[in-house]
Amino acid sequence: MTTATAPVAPAAPARPRRVALPGPARLLRLELRRNIMPWLLPLLAVLFWFVTYRPAMANPPFWNVRSAIVQSHTMLAFAPLLAGAAAWAGSRDRRRGVADLVDMTALPRWAGQLAAWAATTCWAEAIYLAGVAVLYVVTAHQGAWGGPLWWPVAVGAAFVAASCALGFTAGSLLPSRFTAPVAAFVMFLALAGCAFALQANVTYAQIWPLNVQGALPSDSYGIFYPYLPDLPITQLMFLAGLAAAALGGLGLPTAAGGRWLRRAAAAVTAAGLAAAGTGVVLAGTARLEAHGIVVPALHDAASGRPTPYTPVCSHTAVPICLQPAYRALLPDVTAALGPVLSQVADLPGMPARVTQVAVTSVHAEPSNGIGFGGPVISGHPPVLYLPLAGLTLPGEGNTPATQFIAGLRQQDGPSILSVLVGLPGQIPAQSGLGGINSIPNPRHFAQVAVVDGMVRVLGLGQPGPLSTPIQHGTSSGEQQVLAAAQRFAALPAATRHAWLVTHLAALRADRISVSEIP
Amino acid sequence: MTAAQVGNKARHADPAPWQKTGYWLAGLRLARLYAASRRAATCLLVLVACAIALRTALHWLPRGGVYAEQIPITIEAGAAAVIGVTTGSPFGDPERATGRWLPYLRLVAAMALAGAAFGALAAGSASQHLDGGTLSLLRDLAGFTGLAFLTGAVLGGALAWIGPLGYLAITLPALAGHWTTPWLWPARPPHDRGAAICAGLVFTAGLAVVTVRGARAWFR
Amino acid sequence: MNVEITDLTRRFGRTQAVASVDLDLGPGVFGLLGPNGAGKTSLLRMLATVIPPSSGTLRLLGRDPGSYPQRRQIRRRLGYLPQDLGYYPGFTVAEFVEYFALLKEMPPNRVPAAVATAVERTGLGDKARAKLRTLSGGMLRRAGIAQAIVNEPELLLLDEPTAGLDPEQRVTFRALLRDLGQRATVVVSTHLVEDVGAACSQVALMNQGKIVFCGTPEELTARAEGTDAAGDAPLERGYSAVLAAARTGTEAQS
Repeated sequence: MTTATAPVAPAAPARPRRVALPGPARLLRLELRRNIMPWLLPLLAVLFWFVTYRPAMANPPFWNVRSAIVQSHTMLAFAPLLAGAAAWAGSRDRRRGVADLVDMTALPRWAGQLAAWAATTCWAEAIYLAGVAVLYVVTAHQGAWGGPLWWPVAVGAAFVAASCALGFTAGSLLPSRFTAPVAAFVMFLALAGCAFALQANVTYAQIWPLNVQGALPSDSYGIFYPYLPDLPITQLMFLAGLAAAALGGLGLPTAAGGRWLRRAAAAVTAAGLAAAGTGVVLAGTARLEAHGIVVPALHDAASGRPTPYTPVCSHTAVPICLQPAYRALLPDVTAALGPVLSQVADLPGMPARVTQVAVTSVHAEPSNGIGFGGPVISGHPPVLYLPLAGLTLPGEGNTPATQFIAGLRQQDGPSILSVLVGLPGQIPAQSGLGGINSIPNPRHFAQVAVVDGMVRVLGLGQPGPLSTPIQHGTSSGEQQVLAAAQRFAALPAATRHAWLVTHLAALRADRISVSEIP
Repeated sequence: MTAAQVGNKARHADPAPWQKTGYWLAGLRLARLYAASRRAATCLLVLVACAIALRTALHWLPRGGVYAEQIPITIEAGAAAVIGVTTGSPFGDPERATGRWLPYLRLVAAMALAGAAFGALAAGSASQHLDGGTLSLLRDLAGFTGLAFLTGAVLGGALAWIGPLGYLAITLPALAGHWTTPWLWPARPPHDRGAAICAGLVFTAGLAVVTVRGARAWFR
Repeated sequence: MNVEITDLTRRFGRTQAVASVDLDLGPGVFGLLGPNGAGKTSLLRMLATVIPPSSGTLRLLGRDPGSYPQRRQIRRRLGYLPQDLGYYPGFTVAEFVEYFALLKEMPPNRVPAAVATAVERTGLGDKARAKLRTLSGGMLRRAGIAQAIVNEPELLLLDEPTAGLDPEQRVTFRALLRDLGQRATVVVSTHLVEDVGAACSQVALMNQGKIVFCGTPEELTARAEGTDAAGDAPLERGYSAVLAAARTGTEAQS
């Protein structure tokens, strides 16, 4: 140990002058170096790969699908562990017995705690964003159409910060060895509880940070239409409010600082609670629309305009045109719909083109399920507008192309035929194989029989509207329909086609009876 | 009177030591002090809270739904995490440099808390529908607790919670994806022998490690 | 005067740890002696603004620690080493000292030089980059002293600073104290009377929360004359004599 009069050491070689970091930056640098988060890095990396990267890669490269997985899957694994680690960081001073030492320093205690929280959050954000970056780079490399969606990433990042804030505050206020595991465990329970509330159609549960535009089909947002920011904005408001309220709460005790600083902390806490509450209230007004979740107070009508694009089309007699995000599926869609379209080639009103569209309408079903509209023929010349929603795409969970082709033909083949023959309120695409009881009016029996006959000809796995076998004791009308369908299916293709050419208009106008079907 | 003194005295006296009331009283006192040093009472309170949470969840959750599976497993993992952090010693080297009683104390404490957790959660799920029943509760809790013990041996008692809760984060997607590997035992049916063996192995390994070595005195 | 105490009292529940203490301290090294539980640590913690007094007046460096802005100014000029020093095992010595330099709101451009100086003065120059968990008890104590002196405090409070130091280091530490005492008020609470004798210009003896002696070490030594007080050194005998008299007086009162 030397005194102040010790001889001066020989001068070291001149080093380049470094810019002196400001005090807060130096403090942050110290906290970053000695934070617990780097110790969690291997575990978080494994979790990200397991719960986010693998499931994302099991889906085709669509930005909306992959970004939704980022938001929903990553935080389910990260948030509890981050909350626990932050609680550990927050309890550090008490655990290490330096509480007195740091409490009696000049820097307001709140400022020191914010530096420790900031360091914890910086590491957490770095780990999260690194994982997102890897996923997004791979997705871009796989040729996903359009650009990356940033709203889900922003919500995830806000959730990271909020988890760290809540955990850190819990650890600071309750520096017990049990605080970290309880904080992590409570976060797990909160996530599960909110998911359950969302499934139970509790309106305010829309605010759940893992909720990505509800259970909408994947083409509803971010492909045909811009990704609606309404719900993410409310989620950001909620999460930022939670974080502010938690961190502001740290500044309320007397030891945190002077009177004005504590008043500022109280203001931050109040503002945070107000923001979080506002987010929840806004989420309570959210409604499900075809292209995303709309919050009326935040909705910008301009965001409802379709995203312009140049479709990619097949070079077939009836061109099939898809949104460029789906260009990889063009051969499969052509293979699926080609036989169906060949059945109705050159018929009056036959569509000149098939164009993929987004889902046009949605309606809620039990257990937060979604039903949506099917194919529509309209315009002059007629165009078949076909949504591809509700199908398992090739590459999704190892689904082969043959399965997709069969599924598309199975789902939309009867729907297309039904639309062509003019069945009213066309059979919805997903429930197109309902029983005859779904067509209540006997006036439409002829159309049902024709469609069913053509479906039998196409060899689809299940007959069209007559999916359930006619039982003994069924009415004679229904038996007539079945017989007519079988007759129509047994006709030679040319005969069947010729009959349709001459009788299609009358069939659509309900002027053909079942007995008139050859 | 310390346990060592009791032992010395016992070697030189008739009748046999175990027949002396003082010996047992000293042992009980030692066990009580050990439990107090590990905050076992707080742990038990948290386990009771877990049981209440389980009962509440089972009361409100619809049967057979995905949450009827996930939430009880989450609570089991939380209980195991809390047991894990009790393995941390506040004393460090002075405790390790004592006589032969420490491994027994660790073993008894670990078994007692694991048993208390099972009892509390079983009571919490009594007369409610628990997906998989008591058998899967026992299996899952044993596996999670073993993970907590193993994590405590590596990272220290205070961070023992990372093991079971990190494993839970993998288990939840595995449940949804119907994984079949027995190493993800919460995703397996209650009578699955492989899953029971895996969970049992993990519990046994964790118990052995925490008995012999105790939690690592690294992150306090 | 850097420290002005008038009728200072501190209670913890029913226990009166510090009872009606009066003290005025200027620059120099001031020793605080007393048996265990005498109230030395509680007095030091009040001087360190860690805990407020229950009653009485306390002024530090001409400021009132009861007012937050003035307390903040005091803390910028304060150094404190507690009896039980906590630390972050993962920090290096330099980081530990730098951390407290920053918390004491030292100007950032002065921090690196101040840290280096404090580390050198406590003889830890070659251990500056060693993690605290790798240091011996004595080195940890010196790291604690380094963080206390990094901001060149005007009021330095040291509770058992030489615990764990070997005799050579203790000698050097006393020289450091004398050097610091030329500019600042240094209050040293210790059980080691030889430290007080070697470094302190004034000493106070506390017993049961009260100051039972205040004067120079020579005056304390003189109190043993004519008594058969226990002790191997004159200062120890003076210490014993004063304590005995205080206890006798206390017994007589009760």
